[in-house]
Amino acid sequence: MAGTDDQVPPPPSSHSLEKQFESFRVQLEESAALREQIRAVVMEIESSTRLIQANLLLVHQSRPIPEVIEKAKEKINDLKKFYGQLAEILRECPGQYYRYHGDWRSETQAVVSQLAFMHWLETGTLLVHTEAEEKLGLNSLEFGLETEDYLTGICFMSNDLPRYVVNRVTAGDYDCPRKVMNFLTDLHAAFRMLNLRNDFLRKKFDSMKYDLRRVEEVYYDVKIRGLISGGDQGIQGQQS
Amino acid sequence: MFGCSSAFQRVAFLLMAPKLKPQRLHQIAETGAEQLVKRARTMSTQSSIKDAFSTYADYLNNFNEKRERVVKASRDITMNSKKVIFQVHRLSKDNKEEVLEKAGKDLEAVREQHFSRLMKELQGTDFWKLRRAYSPGVQEYVEAATFYKFCLSGALVTLDEINETLLPLNDPSLEPLQINILDYLLGLADLTGELMRMAIGRISDGEIEFAQRICQFVRQIHRELMLVVPKMDDSYDMKSKLEVLLQSVIKIENACFSVHVRGSEYIPMLGDNAPTSFLLGGADVE
Repeated sequence: MAGTDDQVPPPPSSHSLEKQFESFRVQLEESAALREQIRAVVMEIESSTRLIQANLLLVHQSRPIPEVIEKAKEKINDLKKFYGQLAEILRECPGQYYRYHGDWRSETQAVVSQLAFMHWLETGTLLVHTEAEEKLGLNSLEFGLETEDYLTGICFMSNDLPRYVVNRVTAGDYDCPRKVMNFLTDLHAAFRMLNLRNDFLRKKFDSMKYDLRRVEEVYYDVKIRGLISGGDQGIQGQQS
Repeated sequence: MFGCSSAFQRVAFLLMAPKLKPQRLHQIAETGAEQLVKRARTMSTQSSIKDAFSTYADYLNNFNEKRERVVKASRDITMNSKKVIFQVHRLSKDNKEEVLEKAGKDLEAVREQHFSRLMKELQGTDFWKLRRAYSPGVQEYVEAATFYKFCLSGALVTLDEINETLLPLNDPSLEPLQINILDYLLGLADLTGELMRMAIGRISDGEIEFAQRICQFVRQIHRELMLVVPKMDDSYDMKSKLEVLLQSVIKIENACFSVHVRGSEYIPMLGDNAPTSFLLGGADVE
């Protein structure tokens, strides 16, 4: 028995086995093609976000805020268009949003952080999840903004605030630290309502307290030198 | 000054927080936020932030609980599928039927007791969202099911066949749970390790033909997977599995080679039921 060549007849399933793998190849190729399409759109989103960011960075050079925001806002329509395209692509495979989610995840977090910063500059308030979805023309039933992506984006925005405060003070805006400090304090308190897992979002949230501390230091420096004139001109004047 | 000390309090609070029970933590966070509301009466947006974040908190709590349940179900599936694999390994020349019968029943129990739990949790988009949480269990199940079936019939169970066995579990109000291609392929890659063990065991038991059948089967799987792997979503895992797989194929081939070259010398021994095996005692026999 062992002396014969290993000419054991192929198992009966051999044909169906080949067939199955052939259909796997077709299906996987389809999903790879879909992914290509997604990537192309995500690259557009990425570059639009960069343009917005480049625009918003002018606030550090004390350009007038309305002018800066006006320019950045024009680009939001592009983002809206690209997210519309993504939703269109994903419509081909209902229920599989999260299969491909990783492909636009970090780009979307960056989008949220820019939108939220812009919104804060404009209104002094936090851009909430539903507002962010609205700005991007997203509909949470079909193609929504994942809550965790939104929250991560907000943490990214907080990371940018200390630099903003420092530069505003250098430019002579001594009331800015208090405004930012109050905003960040509220935001930090709100984040503490969340039971976070030990994941990326948790890490980002943990870094928020350093942003807050930095802003508090700047506020302290300004206040102790009596640079805050008049005091009660901020959003919130009770405690000074 | 005020700002600094309050920041330290907050840091201290953060360090303390994980030790508290979630519910209590929630309460504290809430009262903290309420105080802030009082302090900032002029800011109407304060409460809207709080409202918004309590929605996020609910969402995160619910979702994390769901994830926990899925992870638990996945672990149970892994554990029980492993038992099926061990059961199939108990197979030898003369107990084939009864061993495989029990394995088949155990496999069915895995489906009924644990897959049904997964199905309830993985409706709609959660199927892909929670894939990381359940994938290990499903892979192990695929490994067990294909291993069992190969020993029973010598054929590979297709994904469609596996998914068909999951259909009877379905509650008509729910979407059926169907294993995805990726988990099936990952499970299949692991199958070859078990088959390698089986082949070596069969050779030492004298069932050379069975071992050769395994050898052919595993080669075929390797060839097919090689073509499919580069196209998979995240092929990193799979690439390392494919390398291990090739090692298994080579081990089986070497064992078959040894039997082929020197096998005739051992036939009389392998023929009877002596405990000496080809691998252990055989080498000394002239």
